[in-house]
Amino acid sequence: MILETSALTYAYRSGKKLCFPDLQVSAGEKVLLVGASGSGKSSLLNLIAGVLPLQTGSISLKNFQYGQLGPRALDAIRANHIGVIFQSFNLIPYLSGFENARIGLKFSHRRRALVGRPREVIENLATHLGLTIDLLDQKPTELSIGQQQRIAAIRALIGQPELIIADEPTSALDPEATTLFMNQLNDSINPETQAVVVVSHNPSIIPLFDRVITLGDPQ
Amino acid sequence: MIRIVAAAVRSRIVPTILVIIALTTSMALLLAVDRIQQATKKGFNQSLSGVDLVLGPRGSGIELVLYTVFHLGKPTNNITTETLKDIERNPFIEWAIPIALGDSHRGFRVISTTSEYFDRIQFNGDQSLSFSHGRAFQELNEVVIGSIVASELGYRRGSSIFVTHGSESLGRTHDDFAFQVSGILNPTGTPTDRAIFVSLEGYELIHLGWKSGSKIVSLDDIDISQIPRERLYPETITAAYLGLSSKLNLFRASRSINEYPEEAVSGVIPGVALAELWSIVGSVDFVFRIFNWLIIGLSLIGMVTMTLSGLDSRTRELTILRAVGATPVNLASMVMIETILISVISTLMAIGLVRLSTGLAADLLNQWAGVRIDLTWISLAEFSVLMIVILAGLIASLLPATLVYRRSLAQGFSR
Repeated sequence: MILETSALTYAYRSGKKLCFPDLQVSAGEKVLLVGASGSGKSSLLNLIAGVLPLQTGSISLKNFQYGQLGPRALDAIRANHIGVIFQSFNLIPYLSGFENARIGLKFSHRRRALVGRPREVIENLATHLGLTIDLLDQKPTELSIGQQQRIAAIRALIGQPELIIADEPTSALDPEATTLFMNQLNDSINPETQAVVVVSHNPSIIPLFDRVITLGDPQ
Repeated sequence: MIRIVAAAVRSRIVPTILVIIALTTSMALLLAVDRIQQATKKGFNQSLSGVDLVLGPRGSGIELVLYTVFHLGKPTNNITTETLKDIERNPFIEWAIPIALGDSHRGFRVISTTSEYFDRIQFNGDQSLSFSHGRAFQELNEVVIGSIVASELGYRRGSSIFVTHGSESLGRTHDDFAFQVSGILNPTGTPTDRAIFVSLEGYELIHLGWKSGSKIVSLDDIDISQIPRERLYPETITAAYLGLSSKLNLFRASRSINEYPEEAVSGVIPGVALAELWSIVGSVDFVFRIFNWLIIGLSLIGMVTMTLSGLDSRTRELTILRAVGATPVNLASMVMIETILISVISTLMAIGLVRLSTGLAADLLNQWAGVRIDLTWISLAEFSVLMIVILAGLIASLLPATLVYRRSLAQGFSR
């Protein structure tokens, strides 16, 4: 089991409180979280990523119990075991595609050690995701949105983190590109060790996933 | 980490350079002014030694010292040689060297005095004047020139010189009497290097037949050899340098001169006059320094403003760094490294700029007042000033850093 949550709730300062369904994600699984806006999709991802403090319930990633860990340890878990893809603006504008992809290794000894030679691994992943290698040396402003999302995917995948989480990664892409990108992403993971959790409100991608979990309305 | 910061700084290069320019120039200004002031002070204080009192017409002691010792400004009044003779009889006074000023040669001041001048006047504490070529003047038509006069005008022993009436080069020339260089002094780093010395008698001679700045009788019509030397001893002089038999009597001697009944004269202690001068300069300097620190403060505020206003547009990159595992401390220290980088670069540039500007100012100062400035990279005192600026920059950077820290701690991935 890679990710397990139970009885997770999150109360906002406004007083609004969300209850999340329990999740169990094991290696090789591709899970889609769907829900209307305001259903707390992003908050759930933030909790899993360890950037929002756990309030009630429990999260465990591999053998790490979030409830027993401080913010520093959670940052380390994110660095070592989680890859994150955002909806848009995924890249640091003043770094090249290659440098943006390599940032995934920046804060993790573990991932750096697993990768060895970043250039080779990044070029490999780029080919898997349908990027030509010369695009790696371009600045983000020179890349299309689809190309930018693929660089972000390399950054998330590099160094074999166990959990890839993606927040609306295809919302800026047209339907055809969406299917292609999700397929390429799903094909790039190692089914023995990695799992993917994607948040989306786009029902068209449902068939690409093993499991779909619907987040409820706010209570 | 440094690489990312460097790339981030490069991406905002224009505002960064502006902030660096502001910081660099304000720091350089502070250091340069300080240096020039210290060098000037040192140069002034070292220009004249061995002289206990300057005898001159009653008036501002500072002015008297400035125009006699430093050749700055013009003498306003003369004193009579009668008075000098009386005062020399005072038992406190061991020696007296009269000087008369007023003429010049191609912008260099002519000082008429006695040849004892070269034995008595010292500089840099206890160094005596010495000749690199020739000897002191003996004949009426002989002059001694300072080292800069010699090098700038290319004069050697035996070169002939016409003296201009007044200190401007536009004055009428005493073209009826040529002086010859009898000696050249070794460099001293004092106004002496830029002076031309003639005997009192020679000076008096060229002014024979002159009234109110214009020539009435030419020397060509007079048989100079027929004039007895004693008759050429002037009746008035500009001032005189006095030496005492014992320094213990300094203030008593000064007071007794000030109370001389026949003529309004004063005996000024050069060190006291200079101290007065520094206290006047010092208060101006103090205000200037406060303004200078204000400019440095404003530049630092500019740096923080730049960082703060950049934070909103950088939310994206900070979020991305959070996502790949950067801790809030990582992000805060990135912001701090950036400002430290800016302050350190500015500091290094300021040191270079100060070196450059004092190098340039050294020439000007030397020409203007014969003051030499030491060319050093940085002194301990300056180093501590720069450390204060860097420290202030560090403290100022805590503001944006704290902001980044708290934001990234409180929010999830802020988009």
